[in-house]
Amino acid sequence: MKPRITVAALALAALIAAGCGSSSSSSSSGGSTKSASTGSSSSKNCTASIGIEAPITGQVAVLGDEQLAFAKMAVANDNKANGTNITLVQGDTQLTPSLATTVTQQFISNPKILAVVGPAGSQEVEAVGPLFARAGMAFVSGSATKTTLTDGANPTFFRVVSRDSVQGPEDANFVINHLHPKALMIIDDQEAYSTGLVGVMIPIFQKAGIRVDHESVSQKVTDFSSLVAKITPQMTVAVLPWQVAANAEQFGKNLQEQHKNVTIVGTDGLYSPSSFTIPGSYVSSFGPDITAIPADASLVAQAKAAFPKFGTFGPPVYAATHVIDEAIAQACKSGTPTRSSVLAAIRATDEPSSILGQPIKFDSHGDLVGAKWFLFHINSQGKYQLVTNS
Amino acid sequence: MRLFIQELVNGLTQGSVYALIALGYSMVYGILKLLNFAHGDLYMVGAFVGYFVIQWFGGANHLAVPVPVLLLVMFLLAGGGVGALGVVIERFAYRPLRNAPRIAPLITALGVSFFLENTALLFFGGSYRIYNTSSFISFSTGIHIGVLNVDIVRIMVIVLSVALMIALQLIVHRTRLGRQMRAVAADREAAEMLGIDVDFTIAATFFLGSALAGISGVMAGLVYNSVWNYMGFTAGLYAFTAAVVGGIGSISGAVLGGLLIGLAQSFITGYVSSLYTDLIVFGILIAVMLVRPSGLLGRVQLQKV
Amino acid sequence: MALDPPQPSLAEQPGPSIGVDEWVARQATRREYPPGLRGELQRRLERVGWWPRLAIAAALGALIPQLGLTQFQLQIGINALILATLAVGLNVAVGWAGLLDLGYIAFYGFGAYGFALLSSNQLDQPHGIHLPAYASIPAIMVAAAILGLLVGLPSRRLIGDYLAIVTLFFGEAFATFVNVVAPSKLGGANGIFAIDPIRGFGSAITSNQGYFYLMLILLVATIAVLHLLDTSRTGRAWRAVREDPLAASMMTVPVNRVKLMAFAFGAMVAAMTGTVFAAQQTSVFPTDFDTSFLILIYAALILGGAGSIAGAVLGGLLVEIVLDGVLRSPTQAGYVFYGLILLTMVVRLRPWRRLAGVLAAIVAFGFAVHAIVSAISASAVAGGPQSSGWIHSALKDWVVVPLNHAGNIPAGYGNVGFAVLICLLIALTRLRDWWRTALLVPTVYLAACVWESRLIVEPSITRLILLGAILIVVMNARPQGLLGARRVEIV
Repeated sequence: MKPRITVAALALAALIAAGCGSSSSSSSSGGSTKSASTGSSSSKNCTASIGIEAPITGQVAVLGDEQLAFAKMAVANDNKANGTNITLVQGDTQLTPSLATTVTQQFISNPKILAVVGPAGSQEVEAVGPLFARAGMAFVSGSATKTTLTDGANPTFFRVVSRDSVQGPEDANFVINHLHPKALMIIDDQEAYSTGLVGVMIPIFQKAGIRVDHESVSQKVTDFSSLVAKITPQMTVAVLPWQVAANAEQFGKNLQEQHKNVTIVGTDGLYSPSSFTIPGSYVSSFGPDITAIPADASLVAQAKAAFPKFGTFGPPVYAATHVIDEAIAQACKSGTPTRSSVLAAIRATDEPSSILGQPIKFDSHGDLVGAKWFLFHINSQGKYQLVTNS
Repeated sequence: MRLFIQELVNGLTQGSVYALIALGYSMVYGILKLLNFAHGDLYMVGAFVGYFVIQWFGGANHLAVPVPVLLLVMFLLAGGGVGALGVVIERFAYRPLRNAPRIAPLITALGVSFFLENTALLFFGGSYRIYNTSSFISFSTGIHIGVLNVDIVRIMVIVLSVALMIALQLIVHRTRLGRQMRAVAADREAAEMLGIDVDFTIAATFFLGSALAGISGVMAGLVYNSVWNYMGFTAGLYAFTAAVVGGIGSISGAVLGGLLIGLAQSFITGYVSSLYTDLIVFGILIAVMLVRPSGLLGRVQLQKV
Repeated sequence: MALDPPQPSLAEQPGPSIGVDEWVARQATRREYPPGLRGELQRRLERVGWWPRLAIAAALGALIPQLGLTQFQLQIGINALILATLAVGLNVAVGWAGLLDLGYIAFYGFGAYGFALLSSNQLDQPHGIHLPAYASIPAIMVAAAILGLLVGLPSRRLIGDYLAIVTLFFGEAFATFVNVVAPSKLGGANGIFAIDPIRGFGSAITSNQGYFYLMLILLVATIAVLHLLDTSRTGRAWRAVREDPLAASMMTVPVNRVKLMAFAFGAMVAAMTGTVFAAQQTSVFPTDFDTSFLILIYAALILGGAGSIAGAVLGGLLVEIVLDGVLRSPTQAGYVFYGLILLTMVVRLRPWRRLAGVLAAIVAFGFAVHAIVSAISASAVAGGPQSSGWIHSALKDWVVVPLNHAGNIPAGYGNVGFAVLICLLIALTRLRDWWRTALLVPTVYLAACVWESRLIVEPSITRLILLGAILIVVMNARPQGLLGARRVEIV
């Protein structure tokens, strides 16, 4: 038995060594969206790979799952429309910046990958921005909203969503002007996205003379009865800038259970017509309700088949992937696409329409020109109604 | 006053769920001295089983059977199914390591935990599954006297936990199987020499412990509505904490530990601030451990030479 | 005197003699080496001596960046060295002193955050504190040692798992602390970024290669220091405390002090590693130091063999390289998957004829099933194997991968297949002889089908499932870890 184990161990080591040795040359992915057996794409001359960095496993796998599904959809649709042969390579970051660094280096070391979708979290962008800049590779995020990301530290960074500096004050002012609370509870979920928004909103509330109770729960917590019990009759508004819609739904249920009359005001993470339907709530989002955009009807049908309970994190990733697909197709026209030609093509993106219901064009900082901010109200049937957008 | 009572109820509910998970954990721990990291994931499997039972009967909004039948089927299937899963895991992952140093099954348990969590992710995706309990058990059923607003689901959770704890105490102290369990926990070799079927006893312990985890998973789903594949991770950690703080191998200790954690969390969130809840709870638990080094109800370990 | 029995000379057989304990003296001869090549190799290796062996390993390690590796592979190397160093540090408390230290990750985080605070603009705005590395790192290590002593203080009153839970509280408390307390000073959930690289004496380390060499030097230095400790009185005291604290205290071993030292040394190693981590990443976040990373360190240590430095290093390197380096790429994950199946069959099936027969049967079975299914329904085999490269072309007409109407591979097929596969594997362990060999054929075929249709489509999830399976199988096969020694624990 023992000599066999030695033989086996040596063989395994040789296997791994062989695998590692071949990694620098051929780490193409099996996670392709082609479902036909031997690759039935029409034109073989525009072959490229795109990486996607998302929290595919980990505490917020629900978000990464959605983003991945939409990215796969985008690549499949664009391959069919443009006759390209683009494959998607997954990179699981678990929303952790150190893993994002590892995955980014993996993508940079893979010469086939020309651009990257993601990462999802603002802190991840901060960690990997310099790496992408050094490699001259573009990366487009569908959910990183921290304001300072486009201040110059990340020259190859683009985003298809608006920034916290727009969303935070807009939400806060809406609450002050339309809901007139005397006191409110604002709860962050201990992620950078949430604490950033909370940090922007609290001073605005305090300046308007509203008493603010700042609470904090981790995303793993699913019961909020203790927090809800603390809500006094004067607190008529609860601001929840969370990432997980299901938690907000539970918060609303706890409110109903304890007969508290509180209006929930949430941000992007709560936007999920199938997961968060507490009547009377307001949800602001950096992405539109694609079910309400007539031009997106076929996409919505496709999305419902792939990921029935999608919210707000999927469509912007679809848009980001689409931007990269188009840039690659554009770069292919003048020969073999390279990272720099794709970067240039992304900078020059000028899509008159998109899944987001608006044209896509980037300014010199990498922000989306005319990025809109949407506010929805949930009516008594649990349906989302657009209140305002700007 | 209203806040106090509400927090008390919240704490008891939360604590009861922790206590149930800790019960199963403590049983296995007492008999095998095994830190079963996969226990929280059994809880998750139970919660998923309950969810699929609801879907099988038509979904939360269109139930085809009366609610008591639904609940009965959920508890039985979750308890039995997860119990069986626990026995299978014990047979294939832990039995070969029964005589190995304690640290080896720790890693096997971790492996089982990774396996279960990510298999669930593979099968069911990352989306949260929602029980939507309020659709078939409305909030108006329950106790609503004056300032007290207690939903019937919470009452059921607390009552069921107490009932299960009493049942478990009876099993362990009054039945032959319980005697065998205590014997194996005290000295496995001696028990074997006395003719006790150790394999069967350990398998039975795993069955009971895992069934409890499964049932607590269903209860958590009913009260907290959200079910997703990583929910077992934190639950397992709390179960371990409650079991140790209450005293290793002591069933009532595990329950006490669970209730203590639940109540502490509840009251600190209510009266201080949720920002510092975790830190203060840790502080309290450290203080408890320093004051009572063998846990709240644990027996002082005799050091054998 | 002439009538005395002849005394054996010391050279032939160390027998009773004044001043020498015979049992101790015979220790070297009591060692049994495994027969054949392995024993010969082990004997020669041991004759080389510990320090030359360390030097050889260090030299081999230093050669690695010269092989023309990509940045990613160097990053994996750095991560592997970091994990190995952490495992070596954890080995002091867990492997040598027998204390379950579940708060180890807090020391790592403490080192990282300490370095971050002392080498960035975070404190004392706007310019911040920017100490050079040779000043900040030793200071952080000393502070970590003190923290380790504090965390170890409960060990005076608590033993075993009770101590473990208190250390767990400290570990969890640290992550929560840096997330919630004083966000403007400690960064909160946003973390601290723009941290200086390791700077000192005019130069700075900024490239992956530089950090690789730095970590290698630190790992070798740590191993050297810990080896000196291990072979000293302290090491023997740790081993005594691990086996039987009561007996050790009877033999005048200062048990409490020894336990505190274990915590302190582990803390120092972890903090040192943390500083390099912070410098290389140039940013730290609370999520980098949560319990899931602690689990990885434990897995690395115990897989490699708790109680042995070489085991800790091997475990750390192996876990990181396999998990992040190999399994992240679907092609290589496929190699590992198929490779492990083939390896298991090679090891367990004997004689060679049987192995050849089974392999042939599997291939034939596959072709037969594929032919039958494709005759029944074309869409049932329309999807091809989702691997790429030569595996794809090899398995094209062998595996059954269906396509549904929309042109996608139905996830249900793969999921059900996976569940059935687990049941078959469980059944396999219960059967004997011919039945087992017969069942092996469809099981391997089903494994290949499930891999090609479902598992490889979700490489990120499969990575962790494979990790779980590998941990279970390796610990069952070798409970003492790869390089550990078999111990009998007296409970």
